[in-house]
Amino acid sequence: MKQKAPFLDALLGLVAGIGLIALYAPLLATAALSFFQIVRVRGTLGFAPFSLDPYVALLANGEILAALSTSLVVATVSSLLALVLALMFAFYFVSARRGLGIAMQTMVFLPFLLPPIITGLSLLIAFREIDLGRGLVTIIIAHVVFIVPVVYRTVLVRLQLLGSSLTEASLDLGASRVQTLRYVILPQMRPALISGVLLAFAISFDETLITLFVAGSQTTLPIRLWAMMRVGFVPEINALATLIFLCTAAITFAIGLMQRAGERV
Amino acid sequence: MQPLLHLNNVSKRYGAVRVLDGIDITVADNEFLTILGPSGSGKTTILRIIGGFEGIDGGSLMFEGRDLSAVPINRRPFNTVFQDYALFHHMTVAENVGYGLKVRGRPKAEIAARVAEVLDTVGLGTLGGRYPAQMSGGQRQRVALARAIICEPRLILLDEPLSALDVELRAQMQRFLKSLQRRLGIAFVFITHDQEEAIALSDRIIVVNRGRIEQEGAPEELYRRPRTPFTASFLGDNNLIPGTLAAIDGRLCTVDTAAGRLDATVDGPAPAPGSAVLVAVRPEHVRLDADPAAPHGMSAEVADVRFLGANVMIELFNPALPGAVIKVRRLADGSVAGLRPGASVRLGWAADDAALLQVAP
Repeated sequence: MKQKAPFLDALLGLVAGIGLIALYAPLLATAALSFFQIVRVRGTLGFAPFSLDPYVALLANGEILAALSTSLVVATVSSLLALVLALMFAFYFVSARRGLGIAMQTMVFLPFLLPPIITGLSLLIAFREIDLGRGLVTIIIAHVVFIVPVVYRTVLVRLQLLGSSLTEASLDLGASRVQTLRYVILPQMRPALISGVLLAFAISFDETLITLFVAGSQTTLPIRLWAMMRVGFVPEINALATLIFLCTAAITFAIGLMQRAGERV
Repeated sequence: MQPLLHLNNVSKRYGAVRVLDGIDITVADNEFLTILGPSGSGKTTILRIIGGFEGIDGGSLMFEGRDLSAVPINRRPFNTVFQDYALFHHMTVAENVGYGLKVRGRPKAEIAARVAEVLDTVGLGTLGGRYPAQMSGGQRQRVALARAIICEPRLILLDEPLSALDVELRAQMQRFLKSLQRRLGIAFVFITHDQEEAIALSDRIIVVNRGRIEQEGAPEELYRRPRTPFTASFLGDNNLIPGTLAAIDGRLCTVDTAAGRLDATVDGPAPAPGSAVLVAVRPEHVRLDADPAAPHGMSAEVADVRFLGANVMIELFNPALPGAVIKVRRLADGSVAGLRPGASVRLGWAADDAALLQVAP
């Protein structure tokens, strides 16, 4: 039975509470400030009444909308590409000899664990060496490189959980490898595939540092936000940050749902 | 007659471990063959080799005279019922059962008709729309069977399919399996570690131990005439009494033991007089009222009398056989009412009920 320690429990609760507040207070403040702007009225600071003006301004801002669409394209394309690569890696890993598998495991993960500045710089040098002009393509390649490990991890865990008996059953019933993949393996992995892609999408959507190196004249949303803050603070920044936070929160929630669906299967 | 399937001198290793060592098995058409052995005996490996899930390191695997070793899993005319059933949980029962036909590109109407037919055969007529997760263990078992028989294979491989079921359901599924096999006329190769199940179901049993075949034959033959100490003790209860072969006359053997001179009979080639042997006699074949004046037989003292319902198990010992418990089973009727621990009895048996076993040197 669990030992009761009321004091310790209370202390842990308090620390956790403070931690949560510290994490979420800035986010909440940003969100609040996007609806209630700070204004100076006759020398004193105060809050303006509720207004959606920053959001309206955001929608009217062509540059921001262009950056948003670039970000969506990059995140969609790179997370789908990452899914295909991650699936191939995972299938290889479960069938490869142990030594090779471990070597590959490390190699796939390294770009994710390396400092982004190193990854960004290496990619920049590589693109220059092969004479690949910076733009949408280079951003997508860079994003694929560091989101593959995330998708790979999600997919591999599910694949290992599936084990070999369903594959064997399918082959035993006369299915080819391709049919087995299509009718048995992929449907069984669906929750993992979706949550892997969502996670990759969220990371790609928010990535800034590596993108800065390889973007060229292209602008993604985080880079746009960064640029806006350098020239001066406008209320749209709060609105944009709030929107990005909400999108990410929604994706995280969806991933949670998918993982629970995956556990049920 | 050519056998349906022939494993000829098959060997298999995993790294340095030899799991199968020169296995010879033939399966006849329509036969219910059980491969019986303890866990780790290699019985599942035999099944996986037939199914194509494992390759072989030596010997050959022939199906109606054709070499199967290069034929991949999905082209072998066998289907498997897996121990964990391996049902596809994202598919309905009907989709699971129809899978084998679907991947062969059969028309939808034909699949639907066959699925309905096969579900009827296994007694799941109306449950085609359910998902496996909504079914009981026994029902899933039937889905797995239906899925395996729909493509009309020549042989069905069953890997301990009843081990996950409770006792009552098990007995019911045993009867069902046996009648299904008779109705379909398909050969069944059934893997189990449960000797009672093997005896109840099989036309023929192959006993495997440590990657080798110990003995094979009809259930009754194996039970009555075991030839190795392993078969004698793995199939049912047996008393194994060590001794040396004193004399042999045709099948009839006389064995000298520390507790006296005993009778037994031998099948096949007999060992030379003077060899170390075991006398195997079933608890139900030992008489407690043998003639004390008879030249062969042994005396024993009752150690314990255990009431088991329909039966009584009497445990006896003889001081000349230290550590050995001799078990005698009797119907729990008046004939054993007077037996109490400490009573002295004279044991005997018909020579035909005692098998002479050779002890490996």
